[in-house]
Amino acid sequence: MLNILVCVKQVPDVNLVKMDPVTGSLIRQGVPAILNPLDANALEAAVRVKEQYGGTVTAITMGPDMAEEALRECLAAGADRAVLLSDRAFANADTLATSYVIVSAAKQLGDFDMIFCGKESLDGATGQMGSQLAERFDASQISSLSIITEVDLENKTVTGERELEKGVELAQATLPCLFTVEKTHYRPRIPNLKSWKASRTAQITRFSSKTIPGLDPEQIGDPGSPTKVPRTYPPQVGQAGQIIDEGSADKSIEKLLALVPELV
Amino acid sequence: MPEYNKLNSGIAQKLCAVVGERRFQLGEQVKPDYSHDEMPIYGKFMPEAVCLPETTEEVAQIMRICSENKIPVTVRGTGTGLVGGCVPIYGGIVLSTEKMNKIISYDMNNMVVHIQPGVLLCDLAADALAHGLMYPPDPGEKTATVGGNVSTNAGGMRAVKYGVTRDYVLAMTVVLPSGEIMKLGKTVCKTSSGYSLLHLMVGSEGTLGIITELTLKLIPKPIKDVSLILPFKDIATAIASVPAIKLANLDPQSIEFMERDIVDSSAAFTGNAVFPTVVNGKEAGAYILVTLVGDSEAELTMKMDRLGEVAEQVGAYDVLVVWTDSLKKDVWAARSAFLTVIEAETRLLDEMDVVVPVDRIAEFLVYTHDEAVKQGVYVRSFGHAGDGNLHIYCCSNELEEDEFKRRVKALMDKCYAKCTEFEGQVSGEHSIGHAKKEYLRQSVGDTAYSLMGAIKNVFDPDGILNPGKVCHDI
Repeated sequence: MLNILVCVKQVPDVNLVKMDPVTGSLIRQGVPAILNPLDANALEAAVRVKEQYGGTVTAITMGPDMAEEALRECLAAGADRAVLLSDRAFANADTLATSYVIVSAAKQLGDFDMIFCGKESLDGATGQMGSQLAERFDASQISSLSIITEVDLENKTVTGERELEKGVELAQATLPCLFTVEKTHYRPRIPNLKSWKASRTAQITRFSSKTIPGLDPEQIGDPGSPTKVPRTYPPQVGQAGQIIDEGSADKSIEKLLALVPELV
Repeated sequence: MPEYNKLNSGIAQKLCAVVGERRFQLGEQVKPDYSHDEMPIYGKFMPEAVCLPETTEEVAQIMRICSENKIPVTVRGTGTGLVGGCVPIYGGIVLSTEKMNKIISYDMNNMVVHIQPGVLLCDLAADALAHGLMYPPDPGEKTATVGGNVSTNAGGMRAVKYGVTRDYVLAMTVVLPSGEIMKLGKTVCKTSSGYSLLHLMVGSEGTLGIITELTLKLIPKPIKDVSLILPFKDIATAIASVPAIKLANLDPQSIEFMERDIVDSSAAFTGNAVFPTVVNGKEAGAYILVTLVGDSEAELTMKMDRLGEVAEQVGAYDVLVVWTDSLKKDVWAARSAFLTVIEAETRLLDEMDVVVPVDRIAEFLVYTHDEAVKQGVYVRSFGHAGDGNLHIYCCSNELEEDEFKRRVKALMDKCYAKCTEFEGQVSGEHSIGHAKKEYLRQSVGDTAYSLMGAIKNVFDPDGILNPGKVCHDI
């Protein structure tokens, strides 16, 4: 029986996020929070492994109370258990501090054979969490995984394909193994009514900084985050073009030529 | 028989003076798009000129000039129609409402919005939502103009709960063929005040007058909604479920049906394979897509439970819950892409937009498929299962165009006759244009058809407004 962990993140729907042009900060007010899309692919990969080889899938996230919604989405789509790591002391964590908290909490949940992450998050998009978690879990890693082709339970190995710029690479690793998943093969399933309903009332395991034994306060939240962001700012946008339509090609060209001296 | 004049340079100059050079196209300047709508099988007809007015007064001036000179005028929105309704088959000018695209104001106390007719449906829908309100009509073609929707009395996916465009038109400003400006309707919900010219104008396809402003009713935005996919073995079992779903007292916002082949085509074309093809180990042959609305998650859960019970009784393979916004977007984007997909993968295309009683949908589709096989064309279909409105596309990539038209006519003759036998309607929301006139006559009978023609004659004795359409025989 495989013990599988899926690390997910609730992110603002960046398609709807705007940036304050003065402060450079993201305007999150009124923007819906969603399960990071690539994490949904990672969850689907995990659930398919479970269905084929047997096991249990635990979804874990660090975030505020509202991140429960992302976990319920995971439960609806096939996760067996959900864990929320929530504490004000975790706030302002960079990937180093976040990976530390996740691994510290995960150790309370058992030994995981397979750990799945989305390739990157929609908001931060650092793509660092997977490698940091693999290191902290002392697990091998297959990054940019497109599909798992085989899990050998007897020999504790896993084989998968990685999609690279120049082709497909077949990779084999020993368990425990962490995967960062591409979206290619693992379209998230639409939950059925039974699993959706169960997800809405399911118990979610919660941890805070006080209930994770041995947590070093210097390695969590702001103090544990060496990454400092001095400033964020929107990318410079070029000046909007002008459409010249004078009703005919000749007239439009005439107008264009008249504008050229002004432009150069 | 009306005799129309050609646009001479003097008339052209007068029209140009009304809208200005930048909003006037003449002769070779006219862009080819104005010669057809989205169903080019019905022919391309270039207008002699195109006017793009911005105000009611400009429209009135144009009509006065055209009326004095007997120049045909065909009103056009964004040209997304499917029956040649906005195509100038007798030449003259196209009056495009593209530039009349302002949302003028909201009256929040009375929950109405005042707009110009060239506002796009998608823009009005989004703007109303931003005001915490909803414009309920939801036709599939979101880039159609609302004026076009009113002129065709478009229905769309939410008609099963909220009704059609007609139900949301409270008032309008109309320019008559003579150029006279008339206001119809008021910002009130009830009237028992003589013949409703307002409702005569709705669905008249620009043959009686030109709509230049609209006052539309809005409703509060539903608090919560969920869509559910019910996969079935085949279209017959899928459609058979609809009466049971309607009887379950769920008040669904929409009940759509789709066959597997169009779902597959959509997935291949858009790369958005959101509808599962194998459900609980069984191949799905058709789907019913239901949307429920409610005030709370608890209310929706209760409705979903009831739908789940119905689904089990009617043989659905499962009930899939489309709960998250991103999933809803994917599912409805796939549904909205169907026509685009069909257009992209088909060289020759024609369509029927019939409405039949809900319990005859499956029978009608089977009949159509069988007749299509006999004629050697293939059929793609989807539509609004909740109200019996079917969009049936007759397609071929092999036949020559003339042969295709001959075979499709033979097919449609039979299908429209079957529709009449089933007490159905020729068109649910795409209207008559010039393509379906004969089928309209057969469906309503000579007396009703003549009455329609007489009404047209009262409004437009010279027959200059969108000539040759709906019931106007030349």
